Amino acid sequence: MSAAAAEQGATAAAAERPRFSLGNPWSKPRWLTGITWVYILWSLLPVLLAIRVAFNEGRSRTSIDGWSLKWFFGDSNFSVFGDPTLQDALTHSLLLAGLAMLIATPLGIMLAIGLQRWRGRGSGPSNVVALLPLVTPELVFAVGLFLLFTTLLSTIGLGTTAQAIGHVTFSMSFVVVIVRGRLVTIGPDVEEAAADLGAPPLAVIWRILLPLLAPAIAASLLIVFALSIDDFVVSQYLASGAETTTVPMRIYAQARGAPLPSLNALATLMLLFTLLALVLAYGVFRFMTRGEKRGSAIEQIASIDSGGGR
Amino acid sequence: MSEGDIRLEGLVKNYGDVVAVDGISLHVPPGEFFTMLGPSGCGKTTTLRMIAGFERPTDGQILLDGVEMSSTPPHKRRVNTVFQHYALFTHMTVAENVGFGLRYQQVGKDEAKRRVDAVMEMVQIGELGERRPSELSGGQQQRVALARALVLEPPVLLLDEPLGALDARLRLDLQVELKRIQEQLEVTFIYVTHDQDEALTMSDRVAVMKDGKIEQCDVPAKLYEEPDTAFVANFLGSANLLNVEARAAGDHCEVMLGNFTLRSNSSPEQAGVGKAMIRPEYVKLEPQGADGENRVPGMVEEVVYMGFHQDVRVRLANGDLIRATVPSDGESPEYHQGNAVAVYLRAANLRVLDDSPEKATGETADQADTAAA
Repeated sequence: MSAAAAEQGATAAAAERPRFSLGNPWSKPRWLTGITWVYILWSLLPVLLAIRVAFNEGRSRTSIDGWSLKWFFGDSNFSVFGDPTLQDALTHSLLLAGLAMLIATPLGIMLAIGLQRWRGRGSGPSNVVALLPLVTPELVFAVGLFLLFTTLLSTIGLGTTAQAIGHVTFSMSFVVVIVRGRLVTIGPDVEEAAADLGAPPLAVIWRILLPLLAPAIAASLLIVFALSIDDFVVSQYLASGAETTTVPMRIYAQARGAPLPSLNALATLMLLFTLLALVLAYGVFRFMTRGEKRGSAIEQIASIDSGGGR
Repeated sequence: MSEGDIRLEGLVKNYGDVVAVDGISLHVPPGEFFTMLGPSGCGKTTTLRMIAGFERPTDGQILLDGVEMSSTPPHKRRVNTVFQHYALFTHMTVAENVGFGLRYQQVGKDEAKRRVDAVMEMVQIGELGERRPSELSGGQQQRVALARALVLEPPVLLLDEPLGALDARLRLDLQVELKRIQEQLEVTFIYVTHDQDEALTMSDRVAVMKDGKIEQCDVPAKLYEEPDTAFVANFLGSANLLNVEARAAGDHCEVMLGNFTLRSNSSPEQAGVGKAMIRPEYVKLEPQGADGENRVPGMVEEVVYMGFHQDVRVRLANGDLIRATVPSDGESPEYHQGNAVAVYLRAANLRVLDDSPEKATGETADQADTAAA
């Protein structure tokens, strides 16, 4: 009797203030929220530590030691802006990223339009092949390119050109994914409508298709920039010497020699560039697709996000 | 000479093994409101897209004012299209959308502006010129799409289910308006829809399509009153279909419905074993025992109240179920399940249908309903 009453009381209390239990589908998923936060903090922790060390006063890269900006500008020999090798690496990284942006984006757009239009034999497989670089292990890809440029294409050889071609090759797939997503949203109707109203094929592309693709193009440019500036494996394999060293290569090499917090400062700058590119990509896309149906924009952004996760 | 004469001759479109359009020939004279009506997959949109130039016919000819144009690319054809989902250019303002096509015609700037303003006035979006398409309602967007096509003054306007994405109320308004614009401009309209009301209310002529072929092509009243096939009878309005044997009798037919002999004013050429059709609104219910020509005894099986009328289902003495529409006009008696009645099937409204085997497959829910004995 009393047990039953207690049970009843407990049920009433549960009804008032739902608690977590596996049997209660209405309870708030506190555990899931908790686990998610633990994961987020854990994944950010090393990055935050590395950034913190960049602001160290002392020369140690293993302990936290005061605050200063000397590893960015202050130290005339060893800071990012004092050490010419670090500066060269930064310049070279930016050069490669710029080249990759300007070459991979137009090529990717054309590839995306081509794949979207191509119906019939061969279109299925080529769809898969075009996206293969997204899943190919980068090391395999880089080794392959290395062999190519040292044997078959030895006229090009290793160096900046080879590095740029490598970056263009793997980043094009991301452009294809982003642009095709947008093409699906745009649909074939508007192009037909433009042709129907008298616009010749080239005018359809210039006046209708490209303006409507603008958000995807902007997003592609920035994603390619972020991918290229982050890249280590392809750059490393296709490098020909000191003048083709990129920032990630520099950091990797120096970390084993005489590491100073200036490396962390450089890495922090890189992180800033990449983040800026991604935030810009997202922002520009949102801005340019404002007023469009919510669902489609979110789909687009989802495809960008998955692209940035490489 | 007025322009806008469209002639299709033996038009065929195959996609691999699939035959989408199977030999369509028709003639639309200038200024006609012509509708292609049919269920999805009947080839009506494909036919329209071939006229617009988006698809190339596998075979056959498309002639505009006597000139073959099936190999002319869409941007050089003097026909314009209104799309079901509007297909507006979202990166341009409404006025820019409407003026888009004029850029490709040799039209001066002032002239272009005047024409854009005039056409926007006509479709009642005069004050929306600076808006973006995304800021407009569905009905307004479709008006922009209409204005964008009409500003080019095409001799033929193609409309692909233009009201399909709008809600019922708006559809009615726009139906009236489309008809007004068409009459005012005397443009040939080729209109594609699967909505029988749209087809009946707006069109000068309707082609009912099925499986890539034209089933019947005529003025709306004729299609409704005198359908040739069971498919047409069912697709336009509802129909009672009875399995009968028809015999020629002078200038009319004698229809054998079970043991009952009925008279039908259909031509004696239609005689044979097949189907007879009568619309529910022509089925008259009379008190039990009423006699005279074409009376069949029956019993009320079900009464469905529909607001402005009652849908009364009567089991005839031969076993067939027939639907009668009894108006709720305060004079007709109320019927109840189990009432014995005499069903009067007027000879003028009882039609013997063409029921060749390949045409007898178009059964819809309505027919299945009637046949569910």
